[in-house]
Amino acid sequence: MSKLRDRAEREIGPRVIVAASTVTAPARAAAAARRATGRSGRLELYFGFDDPASAFAVIDLARRLEGRKVIFDLLPVVVRGIADDPALERKRIYGVTDGRRLARRIGLTLSRSEPIDPQQTAFLAGWAAGAPRGAALTRFCVAACSRLWFESDGPIGEGRYEELWRECFGAAPFTDEAAVRANEKQMTRRGPYETPAASIGGRWFFAQDRSAQIADWLDELGWTVK
Amino acid sequence: MAAARVDYFYSFRSPYSYLSAPRGFALADEFEIDLHFRGVLPMMMRGESVPVAKRLHTMRDVKREADRLGMPFGRIHDPLGDGATRCLAVSEYAIDQGRAREFVLAAGLGIWGEATDPATEEGLRRICEAAGLDWDGCKAALIDPLIAARVEANTNELVEIGHWGVPVFVFEGEQFWGQDRIDDLALVLSDAGLARR
Repeated sequence: MSKLRDRAEREIGPRVIVAASTVTAPARAAAAARRATGRSGRLELYFGFDDPASAFAVIDLARRLEGRKVIFDLLPVVVRGIADDPALERKRIYGVTDGRRLARRIGLTLSRSEPIDPQQTAFLAGWAAGAPRGAALTRFCVAACSRLWFESDGPIGEGRYEELWRECFGAAPFTDEAAVRANEKQMTRRGPYETPAASIGGRWFFAQDRSAQIADWLDELGWTVK
Repeated sequence: MAAARVDYFYSFRSPYSYLSAPRGFALADEFEIDLHFRGVLPMMMRGESVPVAKRLHTMRDVKREADRLGMPFGRIHDPLGDGATRCLAVSEYAIDQGRAREFVLAAGLGIWGEATDPATEEGLRRICEAAGLDWDGCKAALIDPLIAARVEANTNELVEIGHWGVPVFVFEGEQFWGQDRIDDLALVLSDAGLARR
C-alpha cells in the first residue's frame, strides 16, 4: 500500500468523517423551515418487538417526546443486523442481561430471562408497520413492549395483543408485511444496522444508549419541550 | 482477604475503549477491586468483519460522546496492524511496571486525539515516555515472546467468555459491554458492598 493511501485510510478519512459530523447548520435550517411552515419534527425509531433494548427505547422515547412538537414515527422491523454476524446468537442472549440493566434505569423489571425469537413477534411488526402514525400507534407499541418484556414470560399469544390493538385502534389489526420489508430497507439506507436506532435531523443514534444525546439534538434543532 | 477481581478487556483500535479508559480505571479508586487490564487484538485482526456503515457510525457517535465527556477526539491515526500489536506488547510491560493506567490513557490520547502513529519508533516512544515508561524496557517488550503469549491469552479469553466486542468488564462472571455500561457496573459493585469508605 502506498504511503499516501495508507495515510488517507488511517488519518485523513476518519478526520473528514468526524469533522463533517459536526456540521449542524443544514439540519438546524431544515428544522426551522419546518416550524416556519407549521410542520412538526419527526423522530424515526427502527425497533424490533423481539428486542428488550427496543422495548426500553420505545417506552423511554415516548416519555421524552412528550411536550415536543415531534412526530414519533415507530418503524418496526424483523430482519436486521450485520450480515452473517457470527455473534448474532450471543448478542441476543446478552441482550436479555443488558435489558435488565436498561429496565432498571426507567424503574421497570425485566420479566423474561430468555431471548424472544424474532419470528414470534413478527405478527406485531406486521400490524404496527401498516398502521397510521400517531397517538394510537404509540400507545399500542408502548403497551405491547411493556407486556412483552416487563409483564410476561413464556409463549406469546396473539389473542392478548389483538385485544390490546382493539383497545388502541377500535378495530381489528391487519398485517402489512410489505410495510415491514419497506422499514427494513429504509433502515439499511439510513445507515443503522441494529435496533433500536433513532433517526432525526440527518443523524442516527442507538436509542437505548443515547437518550441524552437525542434530547440534546432535539433541543439544538429547536424541537424543545413547550 | 483478596480484593474482588474485575477484568477489563480493551482494544487500542477501539475508540469506545478509549472513551472507557478514564472511568474504567477510576473504578479501582472508587471500589475495593483488583482491576485486571486485558489488552486484546482488534476485531478485524480477530477475523471479525466490521461493515462500512458501522465504521462510519462509530466515528460520528464517538465524536459526540467524546465531546460530552470532554475528551479529545478527531485527530486520529488508525492503529490497525503493527500500531495495535505494539501498544498491546507495551501495555503488558506497563502492567509489570505498575503503569498500565498511565500507558493506556497516553496511548488512547495519542491515537484518537493527536494522530500519533504507534507503529513508528518516534510515535510509540512519545507515548511511552508520556506514560513514564523506560523506552529500553518498552523496546524489549516488543520482541518478548512471553509478552506476546500474554496478549494472545487475553484475546483467546475474550472469545472463550463468549464476547465479541470491547470494551468489556467482567465481574463475577457478569459481562458489561460498552463504555456506557460502566455506571451499571458501578451500581453492581456498590450493591456488592465494595465501595471504598
